[in-house]
Amino acid sequence: MHVVVCVKQIPDPAVPGELDPGTHALKREGKLILDESDSYGVEMALQLVDKAGGGEVTLVSMAPNGEVSGLRTALAMGAAKAILVSDDALAGSDALSTAKVLAKAVERAGSVDLVLAATESSDGYTGTTPAQMAELLGWPSLTFAKQVDVAGGTVTVQRQTEAGYDVVEATLPAVVSVTAGVVEPRYPSFKGIMAAKNKPVDTVTAADLGLAADAVGWAGARQRITQVAPAPAREAGERIEDDGESFQRVVAYLEDLKVV
Amino acid sequence: MRFAFTDDQIAFRDAVRDLLANECPPAVVRAAWENADGRSGAAWGALAEMGVLGAAAPESVGGLGLSVLDLVLITEETGYAALPEPFVEHALVAVPALPDPTAAAAGTEVVTAALGGAPVAPYAATADAVLTEEDDALVLVSRADLRVEPEPGVDGSRRPGWISWDAAATLGDAGARAAALDRGALGAAAQLVGLTRRMLDLTVAYVQDRNQFGAPIGSFQAVKHRLADARTALEFARPLVYRAAWSVSVGDPDAPVHVSMAKALASDAATLTAQQTLWCHGAMGYSFEYDLHLFMKRAWVLAAAWGDAAAHRARVGRAVL
Repeated sequence: MHVVVCVKQIPDPAVPGELDPGTHALKREGKLILDESDSYGVEMALQLVDKAGGGEVTLVSMAPNGEVSGLRTALAMGAAKAILVSDDALAGSDALSTAKVLAKAVERAGSVDLVLAATESSDGYTGTTPAQMAELLGWPSLTFAKQVDVAGGTVTVQRQTEAGYDVVEATLPAVVSVTAGVVEPRYPSFKGIMAAKNKPVDTVTAADLGLAADAVGWAGARQRITQVAPAPAREAGERIEDDGESFQRVVAYLEDLKVV
Repeated sequence: MRFAFTDDQIAFRDAVRDLLANECPPAVVRAAWENADGRSGAAWGALAEMGVLGAAAPESVGGLGLSVLDLVLITEETGYAALPEPFVEHALVAVPALPDPTAAAAGTEVVTAALGGAPVAPYAATADAVLTEEDDALVLVSRADLRVEPEPGVDGSRRPGWISWDAAATLGDAGARAAALDRGALGAAAQLVGLTRRMLDLTVAYVQDRNQFGAPIGSFQAVKHRLADARTALEFARPLVYRAAWSVSVGDPDAPVHVSMAKALASDAATLTAQQTLWCHGAMGYSFEYDLHLFMKRAWVLAAAWGDAAAHRARVGRAVL
């Protein structure tokens, strides 16, 4: 089985991010790391290939400056190879342009049975790319998967809902987005880390994928960030003097939140 | 010549750092003070699975053949986490010397060590074997031949014990013993650097959070200067530890002197930092429920282990004069 995992390399969330004042886009010049939300997809893919008794995991990623640090992490976990799309023309790409690029990269990966992606990235949060990719590829799209099983040309997932989960299935090939926490991502082993640097990374441009320059990047984006504003400061909480009955206020508060 | 760690060495460090952040938070260190064997539980197995415990074993016996230089940043991270395990004794001192390190690499056999001083080994009562010395030779004593008398320690997790034995297997000559001793001192120095960083991180966060006279106490010079002194000591010690790791790895004839310089300065930096960070915390620093003491007490123990600062200064002195 050949599973492709879409992985995003993002600025380290531990370092405060900065927006470009002109374009309002996130600055991505420094070292990038594997988005933690993608490590679940990588782990899931490795487990599915193991279960299938053979095959391999290919990564696809789009990142500036030929960045491979995050890819190396996923390769160290056990993925076999990667396709990296890196091109100055891609700067400013919106979710749809990104989906076009990733869909072309998936086609470049050859015969693919399944594409896994995170539900959303930790730095962009649009959450639309996996479904857009599926549409461009003409493949079924299953989202919010918390469990994924593949058998007999069919993928079956437990799709997370507010109340529980739905069981949905699709024929392969398909695109599945997985939720964080579906599996426990493995730690890369030292052997894996040493092997990762010799694994092939196919670095390509938008033109290599047959994408016109005006279909991607700022030129192709149909979405503009018109304004950004800092998040409002946290407001002071409500103080309640305990008169022996204040637990009822706590219960009412939790009921309001629909926690209880 | 490139004086920087390789991408692999940085990747090893990051992998171990992530593992320890998950598997060895302060709650695990605290639990090791109270539990039966003083050890971490899951972290040891996870390190074995990652390949860390057997990394220093030669490739001919199934190891990765990594050098002390490859492992120094990892060892520093085990100090930062105050990993309650005989990590230095096992992974740095014993594994490269064992004829068959298979079980030690898998973590199923735990080897501790007592070299260069009193026959006292951490985790002596539960280890499967002890690497020690007999007539200047490097020897291995297995559990069956070992007698242990527990000794109370200031760090509740280390479980030191006096060892004596009836029979031991010789692993190497005086040269092997000296090399093992240097690996131990270097490993302790690296852990002390990690502990120093951790005590500083905890304290820098605390003094920014704790307000007095209407301002964070970290804004007062009397507090800032103490932490600046500690940071300076750390920055002087750290390059010596990395240099010593390089010297040991390439077999520099001056490696023992470099190890002693590293251990002396790392011991001093950690001891100074323990004192300064304790003061900056005020009474909080003394409380058992707060985490600082877990790192402070480990620092005190390691500053005295594998030769204290005075012993290593004396060795540098003998080499110079």
